Amino acid sequence: MNLLGNVLSYQHFPIYAIMVLFMGSFLIAAFGENRRVRNILALLSITASLIFSLLLINPVILRGEIIGYWMGARSIAGGYAIGIALEVDALSLFFALLAACAIFVSGVYSIQYMSRDDNEKEYYTLYLLLCGGVMGMVLSGDLFNMFIMVEILTFAAVALTAFRNTARGAVEAAFKYLVVGCMGSTFILVGTAMLYAQTHTLNLAQLAQLVPGNMNTATKAAFALLFVGFGTKAFIVPFHPLAADAHGAAPASVSVIISGVLTKSGIYGIIRITYFLFQSMGLGTMQFLLVFIGSVSMFVCVTMALAQHDFKRLLAFHSISQIGYVLTAVGLCTALGLSAGLYHAINHTLFKGLLFLAAGAVLHETGTTDLNKLGGLARKMPHTTVLFLIGALSISGVPPFNGFASKWLIYQATYQKAVESGNIGFLLVTVIALITSVLTLASFVKVSHSVFFGQLPPELEKVKEVSWGMRFAMGIFALLCIVTGLFPNLVTTYLTEPAAAAAFSVQRYIEAMGFDGSAAVEILAGSFRYAGVWEPVSWLLVLCIALLAVTIAALAGRYDNVSLCRTAAGDSKYQLFYGGEEQSFSQLGGDDMFWGFKHNWRGYFSFMHRLHSGIVNDYALWAVADLALVMLFSLIVL
Amino acid sequence: MTVILEALRYLGYVLVFPGFLFCFLAGMLLCGIDRKLVAKMQKRVGPPILQPFYDFFKLCGKETIVPAAAERISFMLAPLLGLAALVVIQLFIPVFSFTAFYGMADIIVILYLLLIPAISIIMGGAASGSPYAGVGLSREMVTIISCELPLVLVLLAVAKTVGSAMGTGLCFSLSDIAEYQEINGSLITRISMLPAAAAMLLVIPGETGSHPFDTAEAETEICEGLLAEYSGAALGVFKLSHAVKMLTLSSLFAALFLGGLGTGILVLDALLLFLLCAGITAVSISLVHAVTARLKIEQIFKFYWTVVSLPALLSLVLAWYGL
Repeated sequence: MNLLGNVLSYQHFPIYAIMVLFMGSFLIAAFGENRRVRNILALLSITASLIFSLLLINPVILRGEIIGYWMGARSIAGGYAIGIALEVDALSLFFALLAACAIFVSGVYSIQYMSRDDNEKEYYTLYLLLCGGVMGMVLSGDLFNMFIMVEILTFAAVALTAFRNTARGAVEAAFKYLVVGCMGSTFILVGTAMLYAQTHTLNLAQLAQLVPGNMNTATKAAFALLFVGFGTKAFIVPFHPLAADAHGAAPASVSVIISGVLTKSGIYGIIRITYFLFQSMGLGTMQFLLVFIGSVSMFVCVTMALAQHDFKRLLAFHSISQIGYVLTAVGLCTALGLSAGLYHAINHTLFKGLLFLAAGAVLHETGTTDLNKLGGLARKMPHTTVLFLIGALSISGVPPFNGFASKWLIYQATYQKAVESGNIGFLLVTVIALITSVLTLASFVKVSHSVFFGQLPPELEKVKEVSWGMRFAMGIFALLCIVTGLFPNLVTTYLTEPAAAAAFSVQRYIEAMGFDGSAAVEILAGSFRYAGVWEPVSWLLVLCIALLAVTIAALAGRYDNVSLCRTAAGDSKYQLFYGGEEQSFSQLGGDDMFWGFKHNWRGYFSFMHRLHSGIVNDYALWAVADLALVMLFSLIVL
Repeated sequence: MTVILEALRYLGYVLVFPGFLFCFLAGMLLCGIDRKLVAKMQKRVGPPILQPFYDFFKLCGKETIVPAAAERISFMLAPLLGLAALVVIQLFIPVFSFTAFYGMADIIVILYLLLIPAISIIMGGAASGSPYAGVGLSREMVTIISCELPLVLVLLAVAKTVGSAMGTGLCFSLSDIAEYQEINGSLITRISMLPAAAAMLLVIPGETGSHPFDTAEAETEICEGLLAEYSGAALGVFKLSHAVKMLTLSSLFAALFLGGLGTGILVLDALLLFLLCAGITAVSISLVHAVTARLKIEQIFKFYWTVVSLPALLSLVLAWYGL
């Protein structure tokens, strides 16, 4: 009984949450020939992982504990930590919850989505390996294990990118991802080794204790290596072209993980090294680095997305654009900024997951994601359309969905930062964030017109709605999008503010593992008050009343004729007006929708077109150049 | 009992003032005044001021045709949603010292709420499946992008000016902006706000899609674009929304720059607001309409991101340095 109680103590839950995913992966590899066994094993392991992470909310977030967990016995030789450790504070758990949630929904979706593919066994093996890698990385308390997990997740992600290797460009995309992803992993490894050489420890808590006091050229170089290494995992500029290729080729359920979770683990890594290991976020220059890369990512990628005509590539660029928001807000280093950034991270996982699943549904039914070949699917796939619209409005930051709630906080945080620091540059960031949001809306207007509305091409007449399992998975994401949008106070109180507070209490993080944290550089988070007001629930209530009033007035007027009047077939007054042109010539492709905008920026767009050559050598060169610049920067400012 | 009375009071706000009834009457009158003024400026007789009302009721009496290729639900729901969203925005804009729904939305929220009517007209047009709507949709979206930059700059400039005067650094709340103007006089009297007010006056015709920024509807080229397939009551609701949008934007201008003129008596304030809105409409919509020819879409974008944004930016920089 005592043993059982011991086994079920929440202290062990972090390792269980990681272990069940890896166990699932290995078991499926061994016994997954049978379809039913395979599905049950996969569902069991993702559900168990989700439950273990949810159970950690009580001790870690509500009671504010930090779980320091040593695998086997803790051993300290000569004052240095030896052994594998997990350390779970509110920040780690925040990312773990995001991951577990996305993994669960995407796993449920996979069961019907992947049923037409061969090699389902390999798919689930790799999928769970990828998930386990992400989970392990965010819960790890040890820099080297973070690297191991990054390696596992990178290789699983590369293999899954090329999973549909008969599709055009899949192997090429995987190759590009492999080359640059490996460079990133190598940077992390070298950075880890350099830190180890300087401090003789790999434990994150002890590193946080020792590194700030031992700043020399080697540790500064290690910072640059780690920063760029985690940057490749988050696909922030200049690594964004890889994301586009990878998402374009990968199955939708994998895209959800790559965009919703893998990029977040990169952001997690960046937060860990900047806030904890180097405790350098107090420096204005370090804030500049993060905010600069974040703003460039959000703006460049949204314009890149406007130029796309493939549904999934477009989503991929938006993904990085939204990660730019997260990084910008995190880089502000204020309590409001960090909380807003993490809020946006949740929302990004939810709405981007929803959008990728909707794209997957379209691909599953029509066999293409080319915007120029699709159209009018709203009449064939009504539920998918509604779910897609929820996702699209969320990402475009339209009230009352969740994207608006977090972007609203980000605008305030950047503007407040500008006012507090007196630096007009942050004001520019606010403007960029606001403009990016409307450009995002533009590109989703394009998608909804060229995929779900507009004219139905004759070859898509036979398309049907996707199966209930896929709609169920999308429905979970859509519901969460609405809930997190309508109740922003709940999200900030119970998720993002504890996580942000954890990032500002480095000393507790160090001491939870039994090291001396008294020397930690504490950044004062400061208090904040909102500069404006936003009450989504009351607004929605008023809108509903107003809509009800309009509808009643309309029905009482002549509007009800419409519902009664059935279209008579063959009556030419119900045909669309084509101005005398043949219907087949009047199709408006999604390719060049916003000509009026792009024409004015043709110089910028053609420059970007030349820059994104699609040659992997160029992208590898960018990685090296980025490393060189960041290293120079960190050597000067740290 | 008090709860019921409170609920009735708020229902009154939504349905009568500053909600539907006010929006309907004031918006349509503004529209009529605009048409009359343009006609006068162009030496025409012009329609009677009540013409928009006649048009609306006539449209409501006509048959509403839903094209066979259209997605019925979105097609019919879009006009209603757009109108409801606009009326709700009007509830948040203070009428001098009076705000119907206090503490629910700030200027950033209103910036985004203004997108909802635009999105609903876009969705309605897209759902009709018409190729003209496709072209109109593209132009409408580019017009929105064009107006967004100057509008954002104007709002930030106001937020900074009021915020630093109130000692909080920045202020997005409309009722605080109204309160500040009650005490310190209208913002337009500050030199630093003059360029922003001028920019905002030019943003209004772009946001409402009136001449010369009406490429999205251009009757002579693309048959009213997004509205190409709309008829009857649905078209009437869109026409009404257009009129209400004129009212919303001009009263937003009044709330941002002309606050503090109120008398404290609600009926008089409402009347004063309407007169101010008529004045703003006359300058920013009618005058601009009468003296220009329709621009091309790429010219609109260029115009807004340079000619209109620069004064707004100037205002922001001046406000930043506390002038």
